Amino acid sequence: MAIPAVVPSGPAVEIHEVTRRFGAKAALAGVSMSVSRGEIHALLGPNGAGKTTLLRILAGLTRPTTGTVRILGLDVLRQTAGVRRLVGVIPSGDRTFYQRLSGLENLIFFGRLYGFSFAEASRRAREVLEAVGLGGQEYLMTGKYSQGMQKRLAIARALLTDPAVFLVDEATHNLDPEGARRVREFVRGAADRGAGVVWATQRVEEIRGFADTVTLLHQGNVRFTGTTAQLVSLASPTRFLLKIRNGRLSADHLTLGLRTALGTHGVISSDASEDGEHYVMTVAEGSTLGQAIAAITAANFQVLSCHETRPEIEQAFVELTGGGPV
Amino acid sequence: MMEAIPSPVGIVPELKKLSAFLRRDALIAWSYRRGAFSDIAGMLVQALLFYFLSSLVDTSRMAQLGGTRSGYMGFVVVGLTVAAFYQIGVTRMMSAVQNERFTGTFETLLVTPTSYATLQLGFVIYDILRIPVRTAIFLVLAVTLFGVDIRWAGLGQVGVLILALLPFVWGVAAGLTGAVVAFRQAGSIVGLANLVLVLGSGTYFPLQLFPSWVAATAALNPLAIALNGARAALLAGTSWSTTLSQAAVIATIAVGAWIVGTLAFQIALERERRTGNLGLY
Repeated sequence: MAIPAVVPSGPAVEIHEVTRRFGAKAALAGVSMSVSRGEIHALLGPNGAGKTTLLRILAGLTRPTTGTVRILGLDVLRQTAGVRRLVGVIPSGDRTFYQRLSGLENLIFFGRLYGFSFAEASRRAREVLEAVGLGGQEYLMTGKYSQGMQKRLAIARALLTDPAVFLVDEATHNLDPEGARRVREFVRGAADRGAGVVWATQRVEEIRGFADTVTLLHQGNVRFTGTTAQLVSLASPTRFLLKIRNGRLSADHLTLGLRTALGTHGVISSDASEDGEHYVMTVAEGSTLGQAIAAITAANFQVLSCHETRPEIEQAFVELTGGGPV
Repeated sequence: MMEAIPSPVGIVPELKKLSAFLRRDALIAWSYRRGAFSDIAGMLVQALLFYFLSSLVDTSRMAQLGGTRSGYMGFVVVGLTVAAFYQIGVTRMMSAVQNERFTGTFETLLVTPTSYATLQLGFVIYDILRIPVRTAIFLVLAVTLFGVDIRWAGLGQVGVLILALLPFVWGVAAGLTGAVVAFRQAGSIVGLANLVLVLGSGTYFPLQLFPSWVAATAALNPLAIALNGARAALLAGTSWSTTLSQAAVIATIAVGAWIVGTLAFQIALERERRTGNLGLY
């Protein structure tokens, strides 16, 4: 039986002025952030932003060039062994298991490396397999698991020790929507039970309604840190989908008329739907949505509806990183 | 809220983890169980090759062991037995790290609260237990099929020599694994250096056939001393006192090699942490 101990105090994760250089290149340049217990903190950024490097530093796999990293008050550099008992890592790789062993045997093996006896490791392994929905497939060789099943197995492994901090790296990048949703549910469940979660992703759409707080990294620099709502508030949407009553005009005539009406307030793209009613309008810099709509209605076009074409959170991402995948 | 931290610390809990490695590797080996037959077949072919080669060797040119001269077949069979222990022990750790790195499990092991020493031993524990069984099968085959005259009473002495050699094998394995961790493509150079060591220990040919400096270096080579002692015990029935003095020399050098080797492994891992290349292969 494992020996219970008192969890050290302090925020789940505390990173202060961490830099990491690879030769001349700065992968991280003075990154600071803090994650409380029970909080899901998204580490958002495009490829090469430094997310994985930061997670590896948190896991004790890479040393920072400068700066301090603490997990529940323990210094990751000096108290590495203690930190490892508190952290559950869900890596981005698909093959982090022994493919010739069953899911159950893999978990028993890793459980024993965390100090569980064979009997305790077996019991815990069965419990967490059940929890992630792999209850009926515990004897199947891991090499025969689908990507989604392997990811769930990785979560099960992280759950084995009921860790106080989860480090999750691109956990859903190769999963179907249902699989991704289940993974997020497991992690949310862990956070609800008090775990602090650092969730690295480059997919903006994952954050909404899931992450409590966000740190946006770009080329190793923190471009934003705060709540998801605060990130959204930074967005200044410029693209809108308009529905126009088209009367008896053809789509080409209507497009031409809208462009003329809009003038310098924006651009109407002609690649809208072919129903002749929907048009994408990009508001010009210096103009507002109100001015653009006023210009259109002044030319006797009837605007039936107006929606942003890109969720505002994606817009914030693009504006803060100067592009990149969304 | 998570309040239970497992993982008691200390030597005993770390030693208990070795049984997890043993079970893991035994299960993986069982999943490849047909490979065991090809291993035995390989041993047979190797013995057959040396059997025919032995008919070409003049026994009068063989070294004297305890006042008697053994045939080449006996000489090489014992040589292969001890050298196999060394070679498998050394290469297994290296290949295990390379393999774990390639499959992505290496970093997963490193994020568990497991000491470097446990990991090193864990990589080879299955083979440490497997090799004596394999050795016994090889010896029985050599005796029954090729008429090699083995003094079975000497097996205990060979066991002592191999035990004394263990820290040397561990140290060399850890050092070479460190080289592969740090330099990745060092595998072939490391393999070549290893082959030179095995040849220079007199595994296949008596040392007196080599230049005199090879024999001189063999006096400080634990593998050469172990080979010499094992041959004397199994082929000439040498005394326990001779074996124990040989084991003492081996153990002294071996402990030094173990310290240097394990230190090199730790330095290599720390270097990779600094450079951020730990999981790359």
